[in-house]
Amino acid sequence: MGDASVKIFTAKKIITMNPALPFAQAIAVRGDRILGVGTVEDLAQWGDHELSEQFKDHILMPGFVEAHTHVMAGAVWEFPYVGFYDRADPAGRTWLGCQTIASVVDRLAECERDLNDPDQTLVAWGLDPIFLKGERLVAKHLDQISTTRPIFVFHASGHLATVNSEMMRRSGIDRHTPTPGVAKDADGEPNGELQEPAAMSLAQDGFAAIGVAMMSPNAKWNYAREARNCGVTTIADLGTTRLAMDGQLEAWRQATDDPSYPARVVVAVGHSDFGSENKDSNPMVSLAVRLRDEEETAKLRFGIVKLVLDGSIQGFTARISWPHYVNPPPGHPGNGLWLIPPEQLADIVSSYHEAGLTVHCHCNGDEAAQVFIDAVETALQRHPRWDHRHTVQHCQLTTTAQYKKMAALGMNANIFSNHIFHWGDQHASITVGEERAARMDACATAQREGVKFSVHSDAPITPMGHLHTAWCAVNRLTASGRVLGPEERISVAKALEACTLGAAHQLRLDHDIGSLEAGKLADFAVLEKDPFEVSPEELKDIPVWGTVVGGTPHVAGST
Amino acid sequence: MQPSEGLMEVSVIGGYLGAGKTTLVNHILRQASERVAVMVNDFGEINIDQSLIDSRSDNTISLTNGCICCSLVDGFVSALESVTSFRPKPTRLVIEASGVADPGAVAAYGHGPGLALDAVVVVTDAFRLCEQIADPLIGQTVVSQIGAADVIVLNKIDLADNLTAAKTELAKLNPDALLAYASHAEVNLDLFFGREVVRTSDPTSHVGKFESRTHESSQPIPRAALEALVENLPPEIQRVKGIVRLAEAPHVAMVFQLVGRNWELRALADRNNSPDGNRLVVIGPKGSVPMEWDNALNSGK
Repeated sequence: MGDASVKIFTAKKIITMNPALPFAQAIAVRGDRILGVGTVEDLAQWGDHELSEQFKDHILMPGFVEAHTHVMAGAVWEFPYVGFYDRADPAGRTWLGCQTIASVVDRLAECERDLNDPDQTLVAWGLDPIFLKGERLVAKHLDQISTTRPIFVFHASGHLATVNSEMMRRSGIDRHTPTPGVAKDADGEPNGELQEPAAMSLAQDGFAAIGVAMMSPNAKWNYAREARNCGVTTIADLGTTRLAMDGQLEAWRQATDDPSYPARVVVAVGHSDFGSENKDSNPMVSLAVRLRDEEETAKLRFGIVKLVLDGSIQGFTARISWPHYVNPPPGHPGNGLWLIPPEQLADIVSSYHEAGLTVHCHCNGDEAAQVFIDAVETALQRHPRWDHRHTVQHCQLTTTAQYKKMAALGMNANIFSNHIFHWGDQHASITVGEERAARMDACATAQREGVKFSVHSDAPITPMGHLHTAWCAVNRLTASGRVLGPEERISVAKALEACTLGAAHQLRLDHDIGSLEAGKLADFAVLEKDPFEVSPEELKDIPVWGTVVGGTPHVAGST
Repeated sequence: MQPSEGLMEVSVIGGYLGAGKTTLVNHILRQASERVAVMVNDFGEINIDQSLIDSRSDNTISLTNGCICCSLVDGFVSALESVTSFRPKPTRLVIEASGVADPGAVAAYGHGPGLALDAVVVVTDAFRLCEQIADPLIGQTVVSQIGAADVIVLNKIDLADNLTAAKTELAKLNPDALLAYASHAEVNLDLFFGREVVRTSDPTSHVGKFESRTHESSQPIPRAALEALVENLPPEIQRVKGIVRLAEAPHVAMVFQLVGRNWELRALADRNNSPDGNRLVVIGPKGSVPMEWDNALNSGK
């Protein structure tokens, strides 16, 4: 490192996650790495140093590692938020939840007045009609805001959008539009709700907006700011095919090379089905290998490949084993969807496995998890390889037998603990029923069976915030306040380990991050309270000062 | 119900992994008599004679016969945008759905701006169909795909020992779809190119699956002979379409359309490559389609 000077930070307490020295009072940094951990007196042996008491009233711990999010978490903030719950933006400003249709309309009217170009489409996100009492928000409500400017409002689910009459007029959506998903009223007129991508894509100008925003530098910055605000120092953008597009790698490099960029990013190559029928020439393998071998920098990492095997549980599209769904909607075919043909998975996994890459596979349902576990076993039989760290992502219904098998095969789990709070009540009553809901997102089983695991938010699906995610794993409280599956609760210590070393391990970065010890990168979460001192129920409420990334402090809520 | 001027007709090719979708796409590229754009998952599987390739970029191949292949690698909507902006504009878009996709969901895009949805074609593997339907992992996927079909191509009949079981399953799962048999996905494109073919088969009738037969002859046919043929059609036949040349005007290729008991003849417009001779596709419930039309067509000379 060019900068040879030594800086010693003192803190009220340093939680290292290093079992050989769990707690300390001071940490020395040279360049972007940790020189040592201990007392100021211990660390003085490194010679001349600057003593920083900036954090003397704070708790330092290893920066959180969020191994499953999406850069879209930054892109959505290009647009106003109209969701039900309060949500903090990357600049630290809290957007109050819109709890009535009138408040949605008011919020959008305010944003509309700020747009200068009268032709610019007003795009908003986060609408969740399930929570809004009374009638459903439709075009006529949005027409109160403007009859001349197109308006496009994404729902929180990502599956629906509501548009105003001007957007329908410009998009040629009328009573004759035959596209399924264009919702119509009793008179046969479209009411402004567009369901699923084919219908949403008719209003292309709005529908494409978030995808376009994801490519922008600002989205990459807001993504890292959002991480910083909740103490996360390494974020994984889990699965993008955009790395193959012109300029995207350079855009990531440009952002992360900036010394003030406040996070490390792991960008996982998203496997696409395209090309997979010809397994001898999977172009994604060579892309992922080249990125890992030639393009890594201190703050931009590769080596992970993301596969998506099934859908979501709350959408009834996850592949779950018999007895399947307890209370599916009318017309549901009985089980979920495959996004990759199951018999093809072993060949696909093998192609990445043999190239030395680590495969993270989205499996919400246990049937999907089984197909992935079997595929990993086949890949290992074909090409024995130690320490591959292939990871079941979401891992929501994975059974004890499957965790045992995962441990035997050397697999990891990244568990979607936020689901317990956000959809746990629905899982118990509607999707999988009481018994299986109680063992969903089974951190205690993973721990008992010896599977290395992490927990995640899948932001922007649920808000990023590892203290909240850890709180979910520790308390298993649902939105209605019940404890869902008390036997699967884990300790605060284990949850914090999952959020640091657990995630670092599955990203193949635990040699560099995840604990505070000599030689590792100087990445800290800076907390206002000690997670071991507050009650477990208060874990999520601990204020976050910000982070230190590579020795550089980044205060939350700044731009 | 011809699509309005300028609309691109959309055909969706679905079916489970290995059924023969790409083989069908290759067949379409060889046989098409119009300017077809195909959207495919994988160029590597598209089997195009090098001499037919006019130009090629990362995501598109232009053929000398006017057809275009476009890769879905940059995503569906992006591919759709590039296809609709090609000039000269293709008259038909063929979308190859992925092996696990619901072709009905893909077809929903076929109503987009400048597009008119034609048939959803689902290719099935005659050899493996029953096994696939019974499979606990993929059975539901295969069944849903079949349910979305306007036309089912029962492919690989040369490999199957016994077609009865497969045909019974298909009749049960989608009695209203038109059924076509094929090996190597070699199927008459008139079966599903031309949206009326499918839509006019009465969806309320449950007489079982339909079948089709293509009759071809080389000599122009006198109008009276054609009228006699139509008069003598079995009443179950609801649909005949194709191209004929009348003895009275042999240089003009005529489009013949029969729907129910109504039929019409009109000159084939703006098609440079109109075929010689007569070619009629007759569609009706299984067992009702006459076998001996070729002779009748020829007897008129």
